[in-house]
Amino acid sequence: MAVLEVKNLVKKFGAFTAVNNISFDLKEGEILGFLGPNGAGKTTTIDMLLGLTTPTSGSMNFFGLPFEENRVSILKKMNFSASYINMPWILTVKENLYTFARLYEVDNYKEKVEKLMEEFQMTNLRDKLTNDLSSGQLTKLYLCKAFINNPKLLLLDEPTAFLDPDIADVIRKLILARVKKEKMSILFTSHNMAEVTEICDRVTFLSKGKIIAEDTPEELAQKIKFCKVRLSFAEGNEKVKTLLDNYKYNYVANNKETVISLDEYNVGQLLGRLSLAKLKYSQITIDKPTLEDFFIKVAREKI
Amino acid sequence: MSIRRISAIVIRHLYMWPRSMERLMGSFGWPILEIIIWGLTMSYFQNSLFHNFSLLSIILGSLIMWQIIARTQTETSIIFLDEIWNKNLINIFSSPLTKGEFLISIIVLNLIKIFFTILSLSLIGFTFYKFNLIASFGFYLPFLLFNLFLTGWSVGFFVIGMILRFGYKIQELAWAIVLFIQPFSCVYYPVSSLPVWARYISMLFPSSYLFEEMRNILSNQTVNPNNLYASFTLNIIYLSLSIWFFSSMFEKGREYGRLVKLN
Repeated sequence: MAVLEVKNLVKKFGAFTAVNNISFDLKEGEILGFLGPNGAGKTTTIDMLLGLTTPTSGSMNFFGLPFEENRVSILKKMNFSASYINMPWILTVKENLYTFARLYEVDNYKEKVEKLMEEFQMTNLRDKLTNDLSSGQLTKLYLCKAFINNPKLLLLDEPTAFLDPDIADVIRKLILARVKKEKMSILFTSHNMAEVTEICDRVTFLSKGKIIAEDTPEELAQKIKFCKVRLSFAEGNEKVKTLLDNYKYNYVANNKETVISLDEYNVGQLLGRLSLAKLKYSQITIDKPTLEDFFIKVAREKI
Repeated sequence: MSIRRISAIVIRHLYMWPRSMERLMGSFGWPILEIIIWGLTMSYFQNSLFHNFSLLSIILGSLIMWQIIARTQTETSIIFLDEIWNKNLINIFSSPLTKGEFLISIIVLNLIKIFFTILSLSLIGFTFYKFNLIASFGFYLPFLLFNLFLTGWSVGFFVIGMILRFGYKIQELAWAIVLFIQPFSCVYYPVSSLPVWARYISMLFPSSYLFEEMRNILSNQTVNPNNLYASFTLNIIYLSLSIWFFSSMFEKGREYGRLVKLN
């Protein structure tokens, strides 16, 4: 059964259409990446899913139930975290978590909060004021809040934004461990494509309020037909530049390497031409297309 | 309706209360300062000018009663603003908390906090000026207090509705609106001292009837029940309208995306 089923969802602000007739679903235990350039309509969709903004038209069913008529019972089974929210800074970590445990009517909430703080390595911060936490510690606090009611559906809007790669990796591992344990479904937005590829089972791509692609991260990446060939030449690269210019290759060259973007079927032809011209390279790397390439293509072409 | 969710909001603000100098000053500092300054001034007038009229009691009674309206209204607005200032509005309204539960939690918080404000003012009034609030108003006291709270909530919920409609730019209303209400409430002077046109406006303010009767009780030990009924009726009408206004602005905020933008 689909945990979340969105059909023909539209949100208009006056003449501007922020979300334009989108439909998608989310299955139990699935992590769905919700991607798109800034202004694509991701956060507006999340706001509608949380009941903070009302849709202009369309339907949203959670656990088989329509949202407006079942708001309280649905929100009790959901939770949310984002990089742009905060919590009362004058309250301690423990007090903030107690507050949200009460809001979600969590039984034995003190025990639950202790367990979560232990899991997220926050126990030593329990009596620290929220104002005194670092970005990484704050993100962990928001995630503790997001997991406080053992949600069946979790909406995470750029949860690792502003974190250094090390802490972001720790956070991702904590999320994945939780998902495995609880079989929860997650709608996940991020601008870090490597992160999305790592944790999402499926990706829905938005642009200008419309869904323009839906697939696994790997399949979406394969829709990009070009790859990047990185070459390092032992000798000066003037001859290389001449050759690449003659054949009208798309390339970027600096002192260290020359990066040529081309259709992956033409890599052999490029290497053949270099060999015929007796241009010897000391190192070669071929970068396969990634989800990030797909993202950039969509963002630049404004599909 | 969930008592656990209501208690969540109540306790969340009670955690903060003793730690915030601004909130403590609002609950105790400014009201106490006002009662001391006014008390000392009126003691001087009482002793030097008036001997047969309890001017001091009237001023102290007015002051305490006015604090109930002013503090209730300001606290109501600040509880909402505090969630905006802390970027916590999205968190609480994406939880199962309902609009009604949020308003009830504000009412409960007001009752707790203002109980302590009244208690401290009464103790100071009694200790320094021998003004006994309970003995002065007798069994009319609960009715007066209840109506003062109703006025404070009506204005407070209206201010929250306005913030939902117009955003941060009118947050000053949370503190300034009492300056508009106070002159027509006739807190420190009788309605008859107002110009005629202003008397008609004051008739629209439930608080003006209460302060009139408060003075009546203190000076003549009598009360005009019609004024109390008028105050109560107006309060019920205004409170209903302000709750409707808050609810409408909340829903409009959801429709136009303003609720999210406030965060």
